[in-house]
Amino acid sequence: MKKISLSILSFLVIAVVAMAPISDKYVSTKTHIKFFSTTPVENIEANNYAAVSTLDTGTGDVVFSVPMQGFEFEKALMQEHYNGKDFLNTKKFPKAKLTAKITNLSEIDFSKDGSYAATVSGEMTIKEVSKAINEKGTITVSGGNITVNTKFDLTLSDYGIEFKKGKPASNIAKTIEVTVVAEYNKQ
Amino acid sequence: MTLKKRTKIILLIGIIGAIAASGAVLYMFFMPHRDIQSTKTDYKLSADALVNEYLQNADAANDKYLDEGGKSKVIEVTGVIQSITEDFNRQKVILLKSADALAGVRSTFTEETNASALKAQIGETVTIKGVIRAGAAYDEDLGLYENVILEKADIIK
Repeated sequence: MKKISLSILSFLVIAVVAMAPISDKYVSTKTHIKFFSTTPVENIEANNYAAVSTLDTGTGDVVFSVPMQGFEFEKALMQEHYNGKDFLNTKKFPKAKLTAKITNLSEIDFSKDGSYAATVSGEMTIKEVSKAINEKGTITVSGGNITVNTKFDLTLSDYGIEFKKGKPASNIAKTIEVTVVAEYNKQ
Repeated sequence: MTLKKRTKIILLIGIIGAIAASGAVLYMFFMPHRDIQSTKTDYKLSADALVNEYLQNADAANDKYLDEGGKSKVIEVTGVIQSITEDFNRQKVILLKSADALAGVRSTFTEETNASALKAQIGETVTIKGVIRAGAAYDEDLGLYENVILEKADIIK
């Protein structure tokens, strides 16, 4: 009897251990995404600190989910226009998303402190329009934590954001610079 | 004489009109951001109720809470503090979430309200007022439940 219960117990222990997900997933809720647009007329900047990101060091998957109403502009009117129907239409499309894969995963040692150049390729979705992206970034490993830094250009018309005339056409750049920082912790 | 007087009056009205118009343009241009804490609260509810409303029907909840110009609803949310952290803008972030809830309400404070977040304790039940920026949802790509996002927050109770 004792033997049976012992073997049941050991079976249970093994089952629990085996079923525990072996995850290399890191999560970031400490992020900063910045838009920067420059034209001869003016520079426009918007900042967002509320995006969520995951990074899987085993598969190289990187995901960002960005709450679009979280972008803050210096001028309130500009922020209102940005959120509006003709621009990002954030009521209808409250989130933008990036799903990508690190393509040089073998060159990054997540177990060793250091700074690594990473290349990612994937898809950016804004207003339900998805476009392929291929960008470079830096991954910094420090004491078990991971930080990702990247800067890339985004062409607004790729996502159906276009201004033919008036102030937006002259004041907003056709291609804007996006800067991303995310600090990850192991889940 | 009367003609001269009339010209003067028309001229005066014109000048006043021009000043008013440029004033309106300047006001629009330099229009200040909405002060959320002095804005009237639109909805009062618990963190769990708000999360569940989103998880049950995200489209209906977005329609109810989000505004087309970004001036979304001002909400007072009551819940238990699960964590107190800081974002890259040195703003305090309080997560209101019940132990058994799938998602919570993430509230970002401001330079002006950070001090009240510092006084808060994990496990304490508080009421936070802020503007909603996004709802809760399960995201397949992240493999996570995303929290409701409130910004310009302060603890009011």
